[in-house]
Amino acid sequence: MKTYRPLAPVPPIAGRILDAQLHLLDRQVLDNDGVPVTTVDDVELSAPEEETVIAPGTPAPIITALLTGPVLGTRIFGGRPPSSRLVRIPWKDVADVGVVVRLGVSGENLESGWVERWIRDKIIARIPGGRHDPR
Amino acid sequence: MILGDLLGTPVHDSDGIRLGRVADARFTLDGDPQQLMAGARLLGLVVSPHSWSSFLGYERTGLTQPWPLASLLRWRHRGSFVVMWDDIAVIGEESVRLRDGFTAYSPALDEAGQQ
Repeated sequence: MKTYRPLAPVPPIAGRILDAQLHLLDRQVLDNDGVPVTTVDDVELSAPEEETVIAPGTPAPIITALLTGPVLGTRIFGGRPPSSRLVRIPWKDVADVGVVVRLGVSGENLESGWVERWIRDKIIARIPGGRHDPR
Repeated sequence: MILGDLLGTPVHDSDGIRLGRVADARFTLDGDPQQLMAGARLLGLVVSPHSWSSFLGYERTGLTQPWPLASLLRWRHRGSFVVMWDDIAVIGEESVRLRDGFTAYSPALDEAGQQ
């Protein structure tokens, strides 16, 4: 059986470390009031799309946005929705990454919640008693 | 580029020898200061020789419990390593190629999820 030699640790880095699978993907996203907004389905990077030879010294890609969208079908059957169908939450709106991802902005104005807002305004609000809190 | 396209991509060295697949991407929050949090810069990729993706991250922590699960998952991710961004020559959805003489680092994180 092949044995693996111990590897050297990564050189010390000043900033906090985030591993995408461990710390970001599938985490719940809360807005600045603690209201659930969505989950992190994917992450968009500033790297080029196609296979590109990277010149030495090229600055590393950065996270430009968290992505969310209709991914249930593609999670089951494979692939991913077209990029145009994914909703972007800009990285500059992210306030903290912990057990959940917290935003520094209100979720009411984010594109990612439009389905919920549409159902609230067009369907729930027309049901008698649907415009106020239950008592 | 969408990160999900990169995860699971085969990784080859400069001679074309297959080293594994991209299991994860490691970022560091040391980019330009922004309104709320610093920019997240890609530090490198976690490459796993035997599995398509990472699951629960046992290969990156010292956790040993629950013992059958920890041992099984650590064995499944044996030989995982981190390559830094500077050692990546080609990045894309079809394959990732590393530079000649790249350095493989340990993927281990400490208890706080840091290096």
